[in-house]
Amino acid sequence: MTKPSVPVGIICSQSGPYQAMGQEILKSALMAVDEINDYADFDFSFTPHVRDPRGVITEYHTVCDDLIRNTGVEHIVGCYTSASRKQVLPIVERTDRLLWYPARYEGFECSDNVIYVGASPNHNVLPLVRYMLDNISRHVFCVGSNYVWTWETNRVTRELVTAAQGSILAERLLELGESAVDHIVDEIIRRKPPVVFNTLVGSSSYDFIRAFHAATTIAGLDIPMLSCSLCEPELKIVGPASAGCITSSAYFESIRLPENRAFVQRWKARYGEASSPSVDGQSAYVAVYLLARALRRAGTSNIGEVRRAAAGHRYNSPQGPVWIDGDNNHCVLTPRLAVSNAQAQFDLFWEAEAPVRPDPYLTQLDVAAGPARETFRSGSSSSAPHLRVVK
Amino acid sequence: MNKPSSFSLRGRRALVAIKDERDLSIVRRQFERLGIDMFIWGPGGPLECQPDVALIDDEFLPLASPAPGLRGRCPIIALLGTETPSRLKLVLDLDPASFLVKPLRSAGIYAALVMAFERTERTDELRQHVAKLEDRLRSRRVVLAAVLQVMHSQSVAEPAAFALIRRAAMEQRKTIEQMSAEIAANGRLPRAAG
Repeated sequence: MTKPSVPVGIICSQSGPYQAMGQEILKSALMAVDEINDYADFDFSFTPHVRDPRGVITEYHTVCDDLIRNTGVEHIVGCYTSASRKQVLPIVERTDRLLWYPARYEGFECSDNVIYVGASPNHNVLPLVRYMLDNISRHVFCVGSNYVWTWETNRVTRELVTAAQGSILAERLLELGESAVDHIVDEIIRRKPPVVFNTLVGSSSYDFIRAFHAATTIAGLDIPMLSCSLCEPELKIVGPASAGCITSSAYFESIRLPENRAFVQRWKARYGEASSPSVDGQSAYVAVYLLARALRRAGTSNIGEVRRAAAGHRYNSPQGPVWIDGDNNHCVLTPRLAVSNAQAQFDLFWEAEAPVRPDPYLTQLDVAAGPARETFRSGSSSSAPHLRVVK
Repeated sequence: MNKPSSFSLRGRRALVAIKDERDLSIVRRQFERLGIDMFIWGPGGPLECQPDVALIDDEFLPLASPAPGLRGRCPIIALLGTETPSRLKLVLDLDPASFLVKPLRSAGIYAALVMAFERTERTDELRQHVAKLEDRLRSRRVVLAAVLQVMHSQSVAEPAAFALIRRAAMEQRKTIEQMSAEIAANGRLPRAAG
């Protein structure tokens, strides 16, 4: 018997400056759609309507409008940058549709027409900066792409660092897609900061990591690098130079959970043994599942009913338990820290003891407070540099 | 003590006068997210809290008593339904620090609050600065009188006379205006400076 079909919009750029992430999001979303269509536990199937804005910001508005007018979708999965989400936001609010947004972002937004599936700033920036202050240094050299994610990440970092009597030694910004990184690397070699916080995205980040690795190797310097966005597919793009980067994320391929092992196995069977899922891709996969489970509970695709059915409903996802906080439509996730290794994978060395509620406006942030005395996982990587296991 | 950051709103108290139930529920939800305590207020009713900020719907304008007590007590955010000059004139009477356009969305509320707190902070600093300048302006007459007196008694030109007054003020740890008032009263410079 054919199951009734629910149309779902998928918006992600397959070309342009962040095509790699767009492709990851599409691959993961389609994988989840196919699984749901095959499962007997769902009495409906998804019909995906994929749109490619090609990384052109204004195109997001156009394709979203097209999806709503011409295919009648009520639910859309996608968008990657905040700029793209803000293009889509007025349309989904005006037409009362629901955008399932997979990417981690800088916070300070809370629309009733968006489910924010990615990490909030308290999930990724805070644990990383707290770890840095506790274990590496209170003085940090920041390098990032010149857009809202970097601005806000650096602002939060500055507040925490200043409260700890530390300092931002430098804040160097590059335009998106800029590859001229040598002057920044030269400055780092000259000034020898105790730690570098990298919020560059896309190709700028890959160029920087390679140049940084080459220069510090020649100079015999051991300067740790921090990131809130680096993921496994990017480690493969960067190559051996990517090893040793301390990264904050809610998802790593190496998470030792049965749900993740099964997910990675299915991923590799579908996309090849050499490929790896990424945090934003896995988040898109989770978004499709959260949507499917909410539809099943609601028994209708009506936005209000689906939103109510989705709130607080726990899903044991590849990254662990995830559920939507009904107060702000953001997801409860488990923050983790890991260090990249030479095999283009991450060795986890810390995770929160329990899933953490999202705090998109950072209202619970007490900059003067020290980091929570969370326990570091036993079996943390012995090869991870600059790590102090806190008991 | 450090002043609270305009970006951190947790624990602040907001007085809210909003007519439309939907707008009110949007504000309530957003305030819960931001950790702001909300007090519903009907214009004309008593002010039962010391608010840090007030959101006033233009539907309630002009405000009945005790609205004059509200003005100047805390930053006011006006909620605009129409943009006609007559309505805006009433809104301007509130001296709002920020505004929001109805129907409300969650987006914009945080920014309006931050703007209101920051604008009020900066306006207060400006007022204090102006008061200080006005004070100094009022005492210019005394300074001029003292300079003329010193020019006459010491047989020096205006720059030298002013320099003597400034040195005397520094030695006695007084402002130039205070020292000038003393010179004008005593008819001469203090001994050490002369």
